[in-house]
Amino acid sequence: MLWQQLANGIAIGSVYALISLGLTMVYGILRILHVAHAGIYALGAYVGLFSFRLIGNFWLSLIVGMAGAAIAGYFVERLLYTPLLHLPRIAPLIVSIGLFTALEEAFRIVAGPHTLAYNARVGLGDLSIGSFHLTETQILILLVTLAILIFLWAFLTKTRTGLAMRACAQDPETTSSFGVNVSAIIAVNFLIGSAMAGAAGVLIGVYDNQVWPTMGSIPAYKALAIVVLGGLGNIPGTVLASIVVGLAETFFIGVLAIPFPRDAVAFVAMILVLMFKPYGLLGKA
Amino acid sequence: MLEVRGIEVSYGEFLALRGISFTVQEGELVTIIGANGAGKSTILRAVMGLVKCRKGKIFFNEEDITSSPTHHRARLGISLVPEGRKIFPDLTVAENLFMGAYIQEDRRAVQSRMEEAFSLFPVLKERQNQVGKTLSGGEQQMLAIARALMSRPRVILMDEVSLGLMPIYVEETFKVIENLHRQGVTILLVEQNARKALQAANRGYVLETGEIVLSDQAKKLALNPQVKKAYLGGT
Repeated sequence: MLWQQLANGIAIGSVYALISLGLTMVYGILRILHVAHAGIYALGAYVGLFSFRLIGNFWLSLIVGMAGAAIAGYFVERLLYTPLLHLPRIAPLIVSIGLFTALEEAFRIVAGPHTLAYNARVGLGDLSIGSFHLTETQILILLVTLAILIFLWAFLTKTRTGLAMRACAQDPETTSSFGVNVSAIIAVNFLIGSAMAGAAGVLIGVYDNQVWPTMGSIPAYKALAIVVLGGLGNIPGTVLASIVVGLAETFFIGVLAIPFPRDAVAFVAMILVLMFKPYGLLGKA
Repeated sequence: MLEVRGIEVSYGEFLALRGISFTVQEGELVTIIGANGAGKSTILRAVMGLVKCRKGKIFFNEEDITSSPTHHRARLGISLVPEGRKIFPDLTVAENLFMGAYIQEDRRAVQSRMEEAFSLFPVLKERQNQVGKTLSGGEQQMLAIARALMSRPRVILMDEVSLGLMPIYVEETFKVIENLHRQGVTILLVEQNARKALQAANRGYVLETGEIVLSDQAKKLALNPQVKKAYLGGT
């Protein structure tokens, strides 16, 4: 029972990590709260679903969903955020909220207001050891998240571009003085962060077997809480915070059966962290 | 090699540079001295492309770079040791050096430059896996200089490298600068420590409230009564 809840919590936490990482990376480099990131997440789910209906292969639809999200994220950065960077940060924040609402409406117009089933055969099969049971989609989430996190870690620590991206988050001006095209680094940052959100959209679409226009609205604010919990811009902190929130939700509701709204857990955690450790779980003053 | 012609830079309403012109020849060590707020850092930032010039032109090896982006100037061979050192606080010493060599794609070449940096600054070798913010001020300054050298720049711009350092590190820093100069590195040095700067330099410019008021051989400037009175502490 305990192991079961642990696995469930980690699976949910993994999806939170995929969404929140893009948000924290964007904040780290541009100091913008990218609320529309959750719209990109939903977009990834829709693109994945429609491509699945066309091609009938889940893994291909996952890749198409990630690519669709990445391209959308890229254009959001180029067309909306970069032209506004010279203004106070409230301007891109307002644009981001507006874009998020517009995306939800666009999904409604294009795909209809009802939930659509993402009934994909992944081809992994369930796993049962005694009373411990992992569904196929949970295994899928764990595998995909692990693969993406390993890729992200290797990219950030082992490649020149990854190193430049970390340097940029610390000091973009000095980074540019070493020959780094900061604008290109920001674009790569959005491509990667948005692809991860797109993957999360597809995974949740399959996990819940549904895709709907406002599926991003709860992740939109929950991811903000997680990013604050992890320490804004802190990548390992964000992964940790995501898992903590996933586990806390599962334990409070699943094990202790406390009648407490599930989606409030992240915010209670955020409030506690802001009171006692304002730089986040792994943050230093 | 570097030629600056009548540049003007303003921050909002405030005119920080009012028509500055100067040159740096290949192999020279040129210094710009002046009081705090005279605009010394702004000159270097303008050369690096970190602030825009309202007027005037900047040439590097005859190429007009006035409107080139910063990363392009870095690729042409201009390197900056910024004011306040600006090392990357959460990158390790080795990673800071790798960033300095960003434009060099050949990993083996980067590795051999890293070895040279370590032989120039042995303390950095000991600390290579520590993150930048854990270094002392003097060590950070060494790292900032080593990092700027990693790209094998054709000209290196140094902004107040002795500021805030303990006297022993000031000595050491100037020794390093003079060594680099002897090896043929072209240096433009901006300093509040006018005495040290004029001792090390070939030529100097004196900057007052955004204008160059004097320029001469460094030795002659050091003997100039005006300079002595204003920047060298009297007689």
